[in-house]
Amino acid sequence: MDVSQYLEIFLDEAKEHLENLNTQILKLEQEPEDTDTINEIFRAAHSLKGMAGTMGYKRMQTLTHDMENVFSEIRNGTLKVSANMIDTLFQCLDALEEYTNNIQESADEGTNDNQPLIEMLNSFLKGSNAPAKEEKKEAPAAAEAEKKAAADGEEKWKEIVLTDDQKHVFRTAKEQGKNTYGMTVYIQENCLLKAARAFLVYKAVEERAEIIVCNPSAQDIEDEKFDLDFSLIVVTDTSLDEILHAARNVSEIDKVVGSELELKDDEASGEETAVSTETAAERKPAQKTASAVPAKNDKKPAGKPVVNRTVRVDIEKLDVLMNLVSELIIAKNSLVSASSVEGVNSTTFNEQIEYLESVTTNLHESVMKVRMVPIESVVSKFPRMIRDLSKKLDKKMELYMSGEETELDRTVVDEIGDPLMHLLRNSADHGLESAEVRAQRGKPEVGSIFLDAYQDGNNVVIEVRDDGNGIDVENVKKTAIERGVITPEQGDNMSEKDIINLLFHAGFSTSKKITDVSGRGVGLDVVKSKIESLSGEVEVKSKLGEGSTWIIRLPLTLAIIQALMVTVGGEKYAISLGSIQTIEDIKPEEIKLVQNSEVINLRGTVIPIIRLSNVLEIESLKKPDENMVVVIVKKGEKLAGLVVDELMGQQEIVIKSLGKYINKCKFISGATILGDGEIALILDANALF
Amino acid sequence: MDELRVNNEVKTEGDSIQYIVIKLGAEQYGIDIKYVDNIVRMQHITRVPKVAGYLKGVINLRGEVIPVMNLRLKMGLPEQEATKASRIIILKLEQHGIIGFIVDEVREVVTLSPDQIDKVTYDANEEKPNFVLGIGKYENELISLLDMNVVAAER
Repeated sequence: MDVSQYLEIFLDEAKEHLENLNTQILKLEQEPEDTDTINEIFRAAHSLKGMAGTMGYKRMQTLTHDMENVFSEIRNGTLKVSANMIDTLFQCLDALEEYTNNIQESADEGTNDNQPLIEMLNSFLKGSNAPAKEEKKEAPAAAEAEKKAAADGEEKWKEIVLTDDQKHVFRTAKEQGKNTYGMTVYIQENCLLKAARAFLVYKAVEERAEIIVCNPSAQDIEDEKFDLDFSLIVVTDTSLDEILHAARNVSEIDKVVGSELELKDDEASGEETAVSTETAAERKPAQKTASAVPAKNDKKPAGKPVVNRTVRVDIEKLDVLMNLVSELIIAKNSLVSASSVEGVNSTTFNEQIEYLESVTTNLHESVMKVRMVPIESVVSKFPRMIRDLSKKLDKKMELYMSGEETELDRTVVDEIGDPLMHLLRNSADHGLESAEVRAQRGKPEVGSIFLDAYQDGNNVVIEVRDDGNGIDVENVKKTAIERGVITPEQGDNMSEKDIINLLFHAGFSTSKKITDVSGRGVGLDVVKSKIESLSGEVEVKSKLGEGSTWIIRLPLTLAIIQALMVTVGGEKYAISLGSIQTIEDIKPEEIKLVQNSEVINLRGTVIPIIRLSNVLEIESLKKPDENMVVVIVKKGEKLAGLVVDELMGQQEIVIKSLGKYINKCKFISGATILGDGEIALILDANALF
Repeated sequence: MDELRVNNEVKTEGDSIQYIVIKLGAEQYGIDIKYVDNIVRMQHITRVPKVAGYLKGVINLRGEVIPVMNLRLKMGLPEQEATKASRIIILKLEQHGIIGFIVDEVREVVTLSPDQIDKVTYDANEEKPNFVLGIGKYENELISLLDMNVVAAER
C-alpha cells in the first residue's frame, strides 16, 4: 500500500482548501454573522482534516481538528468572532501551510506540534463552555485495554518462525546495544481500509525502527491478504513504548501489543528445515525494507522535492488552447497553399514551412495529450456496481476489466460513463441467464461480463461482452411487430443484423418483466445517440445461447483529423482518412447492376457504389465515359465505393461545427476552413451507407 | 471586410430602441441593433446539400463557420442576383446562435421611441407566423420591425 501516488492530489487539494480558508476567514472578519461564509469555512476545514488523516499526517490533522471545533462553535452561535480569534486562525493557516510545504519537500509533515496554537484555540472553546478534552480521556482507557489483551497471550508475533539470517541480524543488533522487539497490531473490525491503516502503522514503526520480519509479508498486507492483525519484529534504538505509541496513534487501530524478543539458540536448528520454503517469501520484504531505510535517510539532507509539481487546469482553458492550435494549423495551411500558388522557389522558405508544419503537428499532439485521461476514472466504479447488481438480481456474476489505462479525450471520458453503465446493466439483467438455466446449459454457475478497452489506429474501442443468453432475434422481431416498430412484412425481409439494430430504436425493450435495473426501454437508444454525439459508433455481435458483444468505437481526437480532400462538381469535400480503405481507378464498364443498384467487383469482393454527385445534389463535371475515381470506405466490416470527380490530396484539417442551425444533413459531420479561407464540408462516410 | 462594426452598448434614450434599416426590394425592414454582431460584404458561400432552399450555405467569418440564409426567400420574395449593395448581416440570436442574413442593402441606423411605433394587428386565422413586431414611422417612411428570433425559428 503506497499512498505516495495520492500525494500530488493531496498537495493540490490541500493548497486549494488553504487558499479558500484564507479568503473565507478574511470575509468572516468583515462579516462575522454571515452563515454562508462560516459554512464554507467549516466545509473546507473538514475536508482538509479528512485528507490529512487519510494520508497519515497526524499533526496536521490535530491542528485542523481543533480549528474545526472553533468553527463549529461559531456556526452554532455559541462563540462570537473576535479580532484576536481571527489572528489566531490566520496563524493556524500559516502553520498548516508550513506542514504542506514540508510535505512537498520531503513527504513528511515535520515535527512542529504547534502546541501554543492548539492551546489558544482550546482557550476560545473554553470560553464557550465546550469541552475539548474528551479525546484525551479515551487514550489511557485504550492503553489499559491493551495491557489486558497482552496478558491474554495475544502476542501473535511470538509464533513467527525465524530464519538463521534473521537470528543473526538480531544477535548482531544486540551486540551493538540495540533493542529487538516483537509486536502484533490489531485493526478495528469495522475498518474500511485495512491495508491503508496497516501501511500507516508500518510507516510509523519504520520511522523509529528497522523492520526485520513482517508477518504476513509487506506485499500481502498491501494486497489486504490478512485478517485483522499482523506482526512485526523490529530492531531499534528507541524504547518499546515509543514504538507502540506511534502505532496506536494511527486511527482505527484496535490495539497494539508488544514485548522484547528473546532468542533461543536451540530452536533454530530444529525448525530450520521445516520452514525453508516459507522463509524465502519472508526474507524478501525484510531485505527490501532494510535497504529502503538507509536510502531514505540519504535523501533527506538533499532537500529535493519528492513530488513533481503539477498544475490543475480548468478544462475551458485547454479548450481555448486547443482552439488557438486549430487557428495556427489553419494559418499554416494557408501559408503552405500560398507558397505553392505563388511559386516561391526559395529552398530555405520551403524548408521553414516544412519545419513549421512539424512544429504545429507536434504542438497539436502535445495539447491533445494534455487533454487525454485514462478511462480508469470512469470504469473503476463498475466492479462495485456489478457486485450490487449481482445481489439485487440474485444472479452470480463477475466483471473482468482490461485496458483501464487506455486514454481518451477528457470530454469523451466524462460522457462515456453513462452509456457504459447502461450496457453493463443490460448484460447483467438481460444477457446473463439465471443460475438454473446456466446449469442446464452446462455453463459455469457464475456469469462473466468483460469490459475491454484498447486503441485501434485512430480509434479507441471499448467492448462489453457477456457469456449469457445472447440476443434472441425471433423474440426481438416479434416484439418489434407487437410494438408497431415494424410491420410483419418488413420483419420478414430484414436481415438478422437489421433486427438486432432495432434494439437501438427508441422505446424498445424486450425484457418481459420491468425491473428497476433495466427494462424501461430507455437505455439502448440513449446509448446510441450519446455515442454518436461523440462521433463514435456502436454495434452488436451476438450468438444465441453463447452471449453478446457490444462494441463502441470512439475517435481518439475530436478536433483535428487527417483527411483526404476531394472535389465533386467543383465543390471541395473532406473525407476522414480513418475510414478510407483504398482508392481505385474504375472504368465505367466495370460497374454492374445488382438489384437495381450499382456495384463493382473489386478483386473478388462485390462493393456497392455511391455516386456522391447524386447524394450531394450537384452535377458531376466528369463525362460518363471517363474513368471514375472511387474512394473505398469501410464501416465496421462493410465496404462502399464513393465516386468523386478529382482527388486533391491529404491534409490535416480542423473540424468546425456547422452550428445547431444546420443540423438536418446527416452525412455532413462538420466543416473545415482551407488554406485559402474557403470552407470545405466534411463527409461522414459512415452515414452514407 | 467589416464595413460596420456595431458596438452593442449603444446608448438608448429612454425606452427608444435603435434599429438597423435594411432593404429588401422596395420594402424597408428594421432589425433591433442589440442582435447585430457584424455586417459584411457578399462573399463566397459554401453550399450545404439537403437543407431548406433559403439556407444558402456557410461562410468563414474570421475562422468561424456561420450559416447564412437569404432573407428574401425567407420572407417569400423572389431570389435576386447579388449586387454591389448586397450585404450579409450577422446576428447573434439567443436561441439560434450566430446566423448570417443576406439583404439587398443596409441603409442606416435609426432610433425609434415607443410613440413612433404602431402595433400591427393580425388576423388570428392567418397561418403565416408573425415576423413583424410593429411598424416604425421615421421621416415619412415606414419600417417593418422584424422579430428576428421568430424569423430564424420558422423553418
